[in-house]
Amino acid sequence: MKTDDLIDLLARNVEPAERPRWRMRLMLTLLAGLAIAIALVVTFIGMRPDIGTATWAVLLKAGFSAAAAACVLPLAMRLMRPGAPLGWRLAAVLIFAGVSLLAAFVALMGMPSEARMRAWTGGGFPWCIVLIPIFAAPAAVLMVWLARSLAPTRLTLSGAAIGALSGGLGAMAYAMYCPIDSVAFVTTWYVVAIAVCAALGAMIGSKLLRW
Amino acid sequence: MADEVELRALLLKGLAGEEAAHRAFLMEAAALLRPYFRNRLRAAPDDAEDLVQETLVALHTRRDSYDPTLPLTAWMYAIARYRLIDFLRRKKRRGDHATIDDLEIGDADPQFEASDARRDVMRLLAKLPEKQRRAIELVKLQEHSVEEASKLTGYGVSDIKVSIHRGMKALMKLMAEENPA
Repeated sequence: MKTDDLIDLLARNVEPAERPRWRMRLMLTLLAGLAIAIALVVTFIGMRPDIGTATWAVLLKAGFSAAAAACVLPLAMRLMRPGAPLGWRLAAVLIFAGVSLLAAFVALMGMPSEARMRAWTGGGFPWCIVLIPIFAAPAAVLMVWLARSLAPTRLTLSGAAIGALSGGLGAMAYAMYCPIDSVAFVTTWYVVAIAVCAALGAMIGSKLLRW
Repeated sequence: MADEVELRALLLKGLAGEEAAHRAFLMEAAALLRPYFRNRLRAAPDDAEDLVQETLVALHTRRDSYDPTLPLTAWMYAIARYRLIDFLRRKKRRGDHATIDDLEIGDADPQFEASDARRDVMRLLAKLPEKQRRAIELVKLQEHSVEEASKLTGYGVSDIKVSIHRGMKALMKLMAEENPA
C-alpha cells in the first residue's frame, strides 16, 4: 500500500481528538489500587490488634508511604508522554530514597548499640519486603492497563515507575498491619520493599507495556 | 519541509478535527520519518517504509499523548524511535539478525523514492473485528460521515467513533505483528 493512501485513510473524516482526561483516570486508578490493597490486607493478614491506640504510628507509616508514592508520581506521569524530558523527576525519586536511608542511619546512631539491630530489623526477617509487593500487585495491574492506552516509549523505566508507585500504595495499606514502629525499620524496609516493586516492574514492564 | 512551528500548528488543528491540516501533518511527518528510518535501516528500504506507515498510524492513534507545552518533533521522534526499537526486537525474536547487523547510520539514498510498503493494510483491515472493520470501511474508505455510518449500521454515533479509534489501534498492532516476507 502506498503511504499516501494510508495517510488518506487516516485523515479522512478525522474527528476532533477527545481531551484525554487521563489525570482523572490516573487518580481513579490509584484510588482503586489502594482500595484493593487495603481490602487484601484486611482480609488476609488483618489490621494490627492495637490499631485503636497506635493510630498515630499507623498514620505516620501510611503517610511516609504516601510521600514515597507522591515522589514517584510526577516521573510516572511524564513517562506516559513520548519525548517529554524527565528533568528533576527521576532525581526526586532517588533523593527520597537517599534521604530515607539517611534517616534510618541517623535514627540508629542515636540509639544504644545493643538496641540497634532489633530496631533495624524488627527482631526477625522484615516480611514487608515480600508482603508489600504482593499487596501492590493489583494496583500495578490497573496502572499497566491505563498506561497501555497512553503512549509510554521507555518501557523499562515506565515499568519501574509503575512498580514503585503501586509499591507506595501497597505500603500504605500494609501500614495498617505492620506491627513494627521504629523509624529505622520503616525508612529502610519500606523503601527496600518499594524498590523491589520497582525492580519487578522494570523486569516485566517491557513485555506488558508494549503497544 | 515543515519545521517545528508549522508541524505543531498542523497537528493542533488536526486535533481540533480539521481534516486538511491533519492530512498535511501526516504528509510532513512521513517526509521526515522516511529519511529517519532509511538512515537507520539502510540495508532494508522496504522495512523502512513499513515502519513509516506503522509510525504514522501510531502518531494518529496516540495523538492525544502530545502535550502542547512540549516540542512536537521530540514527541514525534520518540514515537518513531520506539517503533524502530520494537521492530528490531521483533526481528531479533524471529532470529533474523541480518538487519540489525547491517544497521548503518548515514545519508539516505536519494535515488530511492518509492513509498510503497510491502505490507498491504487493506488485507489487514479484513482481520479486524466486524464492527471496527465496518466503521472504518464506511467512514474512512467510502467517505461516509460518521452520522451516515451510524444510520447505515444502526450503531450509535459515539459507538462508530470508538470503533474507528479502536480499529486503528488494532490495525497498528496487526502491522507490527505482521512478518514481512
